Amino acid sequence: MKYILWTGAMAVALSGAAAPALAHHSLQSEYDINQSITLKGTVTKVDWVNPHVYVYLDVKDDKGAVTKWAVTTLPPGNLRRGGLTRDLLGYGETVSILAFRARDGANLAFLRTITFADGHKLEIWLGDASKENP
Amino acid sequence: MARAMSSLVAAMAIAALCASPALAQRRTADGHPDLSGVWAGREEAVKALAPGQSTRILFPVRTNPDDKRIFDEMDRAAKERQAAEPNKPPYKPELAGKVQLLSDKRQFNDPAFYCKPLGVPRLGPPSQIVQTPGLVVLLYQGRNTFRTIPTDGRAHNAEADWTWNGDSVGRWEGDTLVIDTAKLVEDSWLGADGWFHSNKMHVVERLSRKGDALTWAATVEDPVVFTKAWEMTPRNLKLNPNPKALLEEDPPCLEQDGPHIVTDDHH
Repeated sequence: MKYILWTGAMAVALSGAAAPALAHHSLQSEYDINQSITLKGTVTKVDWVNPHVYVYLDVKDDKGAVTKWAVTTLPPGNLRRGGLTRDLLGYGETVSILAFRARDGANLAFLRTITFADGHKLEIWLGDASKENP
Repeated sequence: MARAMSSLVAAMAIAALCASPALAQRRTADGHPDLSGVWAGREEAVKALAPGQSTRILFPVRTNPDDKRIFDEMDRAAKERQAAEPNKPPYKPELAGKVQLLSDKRQFNDPAFYCKPLGVPRLGPPSQIVQTPGLVVLLYQGRNTFRTIPTDGRAHNAEADWTWNGDSVGRWEGDTLVIDTAKLVEDSWLGADGWFHSNKMHVVERLSRKGDALTWAATVEDPVVFTKAWEMTPRNLKLNPNPKALLEEDPPCLEQDGPHIVTDDHH
């Protein structure tokens, strides 16, 4: 399993452009990091748009009832610089998504990791890997 | 040994000549510096991941990715950067409260948050310049924006309507392209910190090239809201070294978060 680390700082250095804002608003104002959620379902749509990419998911419960979820992540430019394209985000596939719920209770969450049926993972998140606990 | 020394001297002389800005300056047939080129992006296109390949993309926040305070840390770092900004617009003292209020509620007020154009001068420097005799075309990858700047000596268009990028005319002052822009709508901001302006704003941008470096500077006048002209912090760009580099289409902007923002936290 090959991991590639890409940071926005590198992107800025190479592009020579001003630092792009990650979130056009505060994530804190919209999502609760203490409410992590794991969603298992089928990706029904990928919205490759600014200011945030959206992945839409149909999640079935034990009785077969479907709940629709929207999961959002970084801007498309950040994903592109990390080697991702919209077709790699699992459209039509069954995936498991780790995310953090919206504070307003909507079926909306901010993505951390998508795990695919074959076991490969896309972690699209924030932070400084050098500060991770060993 | 002597031959090696002479080769070294010759090499140094060539290096010195190439480093001279005067010689490095590319000029068009009419004698002006040639500003054409892609002034953004990377030399090599990004290689897409193979299907089934795992990856990790971390947007830089100076804390452990597992830190439960990571959203707070993002806001804190952004506020620190804003507080440290040394070059704020010179608002009239009686407008300080309005600027602060707009800044505090930027998540609901900043037009750029809601997919409106950035407008001149918040657009900053162009991503690509296409220079022709009498016309300079400025291309901005962000939001697929263009501006056409006539440099044939014409005056501002008296019939032009107010727009986000205004009505621009260009002229050469020595080796500097000077772009004069008026008729800018008051709907845009100058920055995310509540930096509003009036429709009396007048912007003068200066573009100059030294070798493979482009400098963009802008002076903003707004007698309605400023006490004096505001000199924006100049930006320096490097020419994309790949002569075949192309700008990429920016995906559309579709704001969907506003209705879900439930606190005043901001950065």
